Amino acid sequence: MLSKVQRSFRPWSTLSVVRGLHKSALDVVPRPTSEETVTSSFGRFIQSVQPRHLSPKVLQRSKRMVLDSIGVGLLGSTTEVFDLALQHCKHMYALDDISFVYGRSGTKLSPVLAAFVNGVAAHSMDFDDTWHPATHPSGAVLPALLAICDMLPSNSKPSGLDLLMAFNVGIEIQGRLMRFSNEAHNIPKRFHPPSVVGTMGSAAASARLLSLDRSQCSHALAIAASLAGAPMANAATQSKPLHIGNASRLGLEAALLASRGLEASPLVLDAVPGVAGFSAFYEDYAPRPLGYPEEEEHSFLLDEQDMAFKRFPAHLGMHWVADAAAVIHKTLVGFSMGSISPSMVQDILLRVPQSKYINRPFPESEHQARHSFQFNACTALLDGEVTVQSFQPEALLRPELHALLSRVRVEHPKDNPANFDRMYGEVEVTLVNGDVLRGRCDTFYGHWRNPLSNESLCKKFRNNAGAVLIPEKVDALVEAVDGLEYLTNLKPLLAQLQ
Amino acid sequence: MLRKSVTESFGAAISSLNAAHLTDGVIRRSKRMMLDTLGVGLLGTRTPVFNVAFQHSKRFQAQESSSVWGRPGSFLPPYYAAFVNGVAVHSMDFDDTWHPATHPSGAMLPALLALIETLPSKTSGLELLLAFNVGLEVQGRLMRFSKEAHNIPKRFHPPTVVGVMGSAAATAKLLGLSPAQSVAALAIACSSAGAPMANAATQTKPLHLGNAGRWGLEASQLALLGLQGNKQILDLESGFRIFYQDYIPHHLAEVSPTASYRWVLEDQDIAFKRFPAHLGMHWVADAAVKVRAKILANEPNADLNQIKRITLRVPSSRYIDCPLPATEHQARHSFQFNCCSALLDGEVTVDSFSSKLMDRKALKELLLKVYLENPQDNQASFDKMYCEIKVEMNHGETYTARCNTFYGHWRNPLSQEHLVRKFKDNASTVLNTEAVNGIVQIIDSLETIDDCSVLGSYMQFHKHIHREEVCYSASA
Repeated sequence: MLSKVQRSFRPWSTLSVVRGLHKSALDVVPRPTSEETVTSSFGRFIQSVQPRHLSPKVLQRSKRMVLDSIGVGLLGSTTEVFDLALQHCKHMYALDDISFVYGRSGTKLSPVLAAFVNGVAAHSMDFDDTWHPATHPSGAVLPALLAICDMLPSNSKPSGLDLLMAFNVGIEIQGRLMRFSNEAHNIPKRFHPPSVVGTMGSAAASARLLSLDRSQCSHALAIAASLAGAPMANAATQSKPLHIGNASRLGLEAALLASRGLEASPLVLDAVPGVAGFSAFYEDYAPRPLGYPEEEEHSFLLDEQDMAFKRFPAHLGMHWVADAAAVIHKTLVGFSMGSISPSMVQDILLRVPQSKYINRPFPESEHQARHSFQFNACTALLDGEVTVQSFQPEALLRPELHALLSRVRVEHPKDNPANFDRMYGEVEVTLVNGDVLRGRCDTFYGHWRNPLSNESLCKKFRNNAGAVLIPEKVDALVEAVDGLEYLTNLKPLLAQLQ
Repeated sequence: MLRKSVTESFGAAISSLNAAHLTDGVIRRSKRMMLDTLGVGLLGTRTPVFNVAFQHSKRFQAQESSSVWGRPGSFLPPYYAAFVNGVAVHSMDFDDTWHPATHPSGAMLPALLALIETLPSKTSGLELLLAFNVGLEVQGRLMRFSKEAHNIPKRFHPPTVVGVMGSAAATAKLLGLSPAQSVAALAIACSSAGAPMANAATQTKPLHLGNAGRWGLEASQLALLGLQGNKQILDLESGFRIFYQDYIPHHLAEVSPTASYRWVLEDQDIAFKRFPAHLGMHWVADAAVKVRAKILANEPNADLNQIKRITLRVPSSRYIDCPLPATEHQARHSFQFNCCSALLDGEVTVDSFSSKLMDRKALKELLLKVYLENPQDNQASFDKMYCEIKVEMNHGETYTARCNTFYGHWRNPLSQEHLVRKFKDNASTVLNTEAVNGIVQIIDSLETIDDCSVLGSYMQFHKHIHREEVCYSASA
């Protein structure tokens, strides 16, 4: 494409050809349809994809995500970091009669700030969904969308299908962007993925729900790129939940700014040598345009690549060691007739992938504990499972747990890659009597290869939501999400959250 | 005994630096920066991008509120006032530039002034100066951790990387955060750092400064509420380092209450722009003006139509190489455009980027004759670059000129008279004479002022009581 244009002019730099001539070239050359930029193809997709492109499988999977996300958000409203974020927003801004806040009936914030605190809630306990390539897609998208719903006038609330459409646009954009880079396929080291693709997904979803035109959709993405990117060092700290909160609020902001006419780089997703756009966040980056939904059948990534839901609130990697350790726990219980004492154990070996931020021998806070192979393995050894309560202060300080922690060694076998699609967790316990017990988990229950049953997912939701809402509202939410695509307007859903 | 981490040394310094450490040199230089920033900010309130940011922010109300510059009676939550005023400062690329490259003041001053308006007790001019310089110092030190930072950027726009950290440090200082809280502010700010260069030369670039200011302020406020991040944020590979290819952090010196402190600003002055365009354009404009003078000296009736070819020898930098800019934003980032404007008019001014002057036939024709060369010895660094221009006339005569250091660069700083004149020209497009002179006086004697919130008020003394202000430029 660019070379065709270039041949008829003197050889300037590629960038200047596009930038300098883009508008004037439009007058001369009929707009090439198959030769648009990656960036504009994304803008076009966001605006023109239709509900009929959502397959039954995609509808079903995304509704499960919506349910789980609301549940973890409600539970997350009981955390300290959520409280802090809410206090910050309320202190700074007068009560705005617009968007709901998880678990705070009657409290409202302006939409962007509601997206922020609800996003913080969703990720506050690391209990939210995880995809492959790795990111937490729903927490970045749903809070912004629900905040917009509250913002729209009472007589023109979106339908359930509108919400699902926008939601899936936000998820799809995240998936497509992550596939532009090999680096994105492994457990992250530099930028925390939700802060990179999550912001873009929120911008895309918000742009769709706000019905922006395709040019505005492109600009929303480009503006969002300037609001993306946070370092991994803040994972396993109290600030990590803010990454999702910010992804949601800033993506929404980008869409709102675009709706007012703000423009940004028309090549932000394209690979332009010498000037980094979205590529700034990756070492390797090879973008591809999205196809035309009007002409071809569009296949959503969620159709091919399912989602992982967590059974307990900790980093995804913990689920492998927990399941492996739980197997050993059963055997140990059999040996010791009921309760397990650390004095039975001589040595614990964990075989896990190499990843610094989830390798913590002696975690000192709940945030660190959620990111510690050692802690989760030992908890599962002692209790047979890891639960929400496993991260309470009393549980963190148990002497039996500490005794076990001091007996843990960690190995990183070469065949265990730092990749959520291919890793495994192995636990090997050597008892003082010489017996060696081994447990291995290749695919934990809840992983996309072994998804939670609808019953298990619903049970998780009821436990979470029930911590904060009365049973009638919990039931009403389950029902509303179950029939989401048939709701003509979202009031029945929103009403339970106000 | 464990040595403190680099991060801890920053937290300690932010907390311990006090007004007694400010030297005369640093006070003088930073006051010039503040005056220039206020002026360009006021001029910037007339741009479309400021208007978009302002309309967007108006949906948010607050119990606390701070002045919006150039909009009498308009107030926003401090977070949003910092945002829109920061956007104003960078809206025309007219604000200060440092070495290593960043726009340090626009990331901090709007946030500081917004914060001051909400504090329960008066803030003195000296306290403002201290906070400003603490933020500046943090920016300067952070950029020195990396060689990459010393060159014209390619990946992340520097104000979004170091600017937000500087804003966090400056507001932390003003809020009196403890060393541990200052560390938390830096860590939280780091999670808001980093925007890509691709949005430079677009309408979104000014938001980079607005965002740096507001997110740095937010980081300090969250830290004050007790939020924590990674206490080793400047040390770890997975921390601040992610924004650079090469990175070696260094501790800040122990700050003693009695001994002096060596500020980066003392050793490295700042550049102020004479016209609103990317810094690189200033070399080109000065060289073009020189060569124009040579042409006219030799041929007083020379017609610039007789130019056959113009060769510009400049450093290689994609985002400022734009042969036919379509928008004012692109024009401000175009070697070619600034060269031709200077050749035609003998200078580049604020008006050069109006659509009327951008659309001139003579200019467009001249643009087609420009060729860029990137000599090996012309480094993409604001400390080392030069511009050479060669003009070939139709009849064979050739003229060349070179600019190594434009007037306004840190090696050849604007005189105080010219700096004040720039401020007055900018500010009087928006404020009445009383306010313009008032601000000059306040800044001039800032270290003696008891209560600097009066600055905020002056920034709203509009010369007209218009409903709708005519926006400065027509193209977006």
